[in-house]
Amino acid sequence: MEQEPQKKFPADAAVPKPPAKPDDLKDSTNAANEPEQVIRPEDEALVVERLRELGYIE
Amino acid sequence: MQAKPNIILISADSLRANHLGCYGYSLPTSPNIDKFAGEGALFEKVFAPGIPTQPSHTTIFTGQHPVTHGVVAHGGKAKLARGTPFLSEILLEEGYTTCAVDTLFRERIWFGRGWEYIIDPSLHHLFYASVTQEELNDRAIHWMKTVPKAPFFMFIHYWDVHYPYVPPDRMRGMFYKGGNPTDPDNHALDAWWDHPVGAMARDTWLRTPNGLITDPNYVTALYDREIRYLDEGIAALSDALDKQGLAENTMVVLLADHGESMTDHGIYYDHYGLHDCTVQVPTIIRWPAGNLKAGTRFAPFRQLFDIAPTLLEAAGSELPEDLDGKSFLPQLTGKEEPSGYDQVIGCESTWQSKYYLRTDRYKFILARYPDLLGNPDRELFDLQADPGEDHNIAAEEPQVVAEMEKELEAWIAAKMEAAGRTEDPVRKEGPVAVEIWEQHRG
Repeated sequence: MEQEPQKKFPADAAVPKPPAKPDDLKDSTNAANEPEQVIRPEDEALVVERLRELGYIE
Repeated sequence: MQAKPNIILISADSLRANHLGCYGYSLPTSPNIDKFAGEGALFEKVFAPGIPTQPSHTTIFTGQHPVTHGVVAHGGKAKLARGTPFLSEILLEEGYTTCAVDTLFRERIWFGRGWEYIIDPSLHHLFYASVTQEELNDRAIHWMKTVPKAPFFMFIHYWDVHYPYVPPDRMRGMFYKGGNPTDPDNHALDAWWDHPVGAMARDTWLRTPNGLITDPNYVTALYDREIRYLDEGIAALSDALDKQGLAENTMVVLLADHGESMTDHGIYYDHYGLHDCTVQVPTIIRWPAGNLKAGTRFAPFRQLFDIAPTLLEAAGSELPEDLDGKSFLPQLTGKEEPSGYDQVIGCESTWQSKYYLRTDRYKFILARYPDLLGNPDRELFDLQADPGEDHNIAAEEPQVVAEMEKELEAWIAAKMEAAGRTEDPVRKEGPVAVEIWEQHRG
């Protein structure tokens, strides 16, 4: 069956306001306990190698 | 004012719709995207006819379903036929100056079609998806300032939300409600290591000086921080348009090629599986000169193949006859009532080879080959009772399964015939990456 526009809906709902929380929603205690993420060049090279094996990269 | 609008098409790779505030997310990941939506139109139910990146972007640029254009897999054998209409090529012929700030042409050659300019700052990285919104915006904004003539069509493809999730260090502490991200006794992610992409994550971006990240809530927080970082980039781009006086007659389309599964359905931080978390995509359009009613939300089903005809109509271009998509421009500009599809159909053929047929009530998923997650070949979900698609009710509703399967097969057969195909492209391609998955498990 061909897909054709059929249903009709009103387009009257307003976009909700962004959440009223502050922009910098950071928990300083959590931040101090979080590990540092470091992508080393050899990590990035490994990602490329693995994705090449998958055919994602030619 | 020029008659034809400038067009900026933004694809945020792997951006899951319901992780944005304007799509109902509870965390403040997207204040600027929400503001952008409030200035334009938001489409609540847009679906990708093909996933992941290569099939979906092929659909976005051709206005065709993957069964029509034939590119059903990421990294598959199928090539896009040279005669297939391509959005950037058509706009170039219409007098647009075209520019892609993108990497896709490095993956598949047809993504290079129709661009007078291709800018690729990802060349500074070993892995192209490590390119940041700041690097892309730096080039895109400079190009807009020096664009030789209007109108222009620019495509910007942001990779921040795609794995690896490595947000800026300054975002530490956001969106994570405590716990120990590297608890060695937390084994909630162990099943992920069974997948090649999971093993790659374990061996690279999840490794930290404190140990391996093991808490899925922390990985989700990293994903949400990437959205927040992308959100800053959308604001910077929008500000640049304002400052250059381009905002009024520039149609900006923000969408995603697919969403992301965050452990949903046994799929960890990846984009396969035909559940709504992955096939439903955000789509937001702002175009002040187009008389869009600010804050409009469109509820009907649409599909990503509708984007190309909509943009072509906005550009005043004649639509090619062989598009599957339908322009929704008249609805966008208030000349027609909102309308859409009763049902949507899509497919994938990368980690698994399947089709989905989705109505407002049900999602039916049909496998062409058994998947490695052990799911049955036929799955049915009642989306009203089970919006998370957690309970397969195929055995309880055999009549619904039979009807939807018949409908789906008839649609595939008709689409193949229209495209001149004699073989189902999903069956033909098969799950192209599954052999590596099996070897990895082996």
